[in-house]
Amino acid sequence: MAAVDLSTLGAGFSDLAIGSQTVFRAALHALSHPGRIVPVPHDAKTPAAAQPASAAILLALVDPDCKVWMSPTLAQSDAPSWLRFHTGCALINDHRLAQFLWVARGDPLPAFGELRQGSDADPDQGATVVIDVAGIDSTAAEGAWRLTGPGIQAVTRLSVDGLPAQFVEDWRRNHAAFPCGIDVFLACESDVVGLPRTTTIEAIASAALEA
Amino acid sequence: MFQSVYTARADADAQRSRADWLSLIARAPQELLESALSPHLDTPIEWLRRPETGLMMVQARAGGSAERFNLGEITVTRCTVRVTPAQSSVPLVGVGYLLGRSHRRAHLAALADALLQNDSFHAALSAELLRPTRDYLARLQAERTDKAQRTKVEFFTVARESSGAEADEREEV
Repeated sequence: MAAVDLSTLGAGFSDLAIGSQTVFRAALHALSHPGRIVPVPHDAKTPAAAQPASAAILLALVDPDCKVWMSPTLAQSDAPSWLRFHTGCALINDHRLAQFLWVARGDPLPAFGELRQGSDADPDQGATVVIDVAGIDSTAAEGAWRLTGPGIQAVTRLSVDGLPAQFVEDWRRNHAAFPCGIDVFLACESDVVGLPRTTTIEAIASAALEA
Repeated sequence: MFQSVYTARADADAQRSRADWLSLIARAPQELLESALSPHLDTPIEWLRRPETGLMMVQARAGGSAERFNLGEITVTRCTVRVTPAQSSVPLVGVGYLLGRSHRRAHLAALADALLQNDSFHAALSAELLRPTRDYLARLQAERTDKAQRTKVEFFTVARESSGAEADEREEV
């Protein structure tokens, strides 16, 4: 492996234990309440090509046993060397084998059906996909989703800026494979939203909203 | 083209000498590190990786050629610092990897590694840290050799004197 240029590398959490536990708590909270916008407090110097919240989530969750795949924009930035230096994870080119996937803003999403789905005996082996998006909003009317499922009392409304239109259809297929499937984190600058495979997403037409 | 060949060789040399000084710093006693680095201890540093202690598996081969096997685990402390000395604007990154669990020694070792990469500190640190460490290690080695030599026993066997028997023996092994 080529030597990493450490002179420009960002630092990790200033306090390893407290920092990663705080972010872990946020990730847990986000997956327990799908669709809720959860702030991710951290003090790591994250790579410029990525959203700080997603970088912090991966910094907290990934360890040397993890295989991580990064989308092309991230793979060509300093993100791989940053994550590898701080966590010791393995970086792989084949997204089908990855346990964690990190997709930069605007990069095409890998086909969810090709990722690790886990099995009926080990559904926890399904991949976790961290997607950087431009913005997340729970109040905007335009292009909103209705989320239902475990962890949501009635209905949660969410609109995400920067996801392809077919995401809702891909997600429906992912949800149908339960208990197998993948889990998703959507991350913007300082917040994260968890979408576990149990959540159903319904795109609401803007006309229906007005009614 | 000659330029690039030359720089590649210079890089290789620089890397080799860095490996040399890292191996020396890793074995330097703490008092030596403290005294040699005392003028630099107030240089602001940024931790890229705070000192952390862990285990590393040491592998060995019998006779240097047999199958590799796991000899055992050793305790290693490591850290990485970024230092920007007052006189220069170029950040220097130093790593400390050493046996044992002393966070302070790992910190000092990383600081020494960073400063040794800057030409203006290299000479002074070479004289105050690297040379004394080299002497110290040589002295340690000499003491150990001397101790072992005093109890050395020479075995004379019949087989050793006959070269034919020795060759047979080697074949059996």
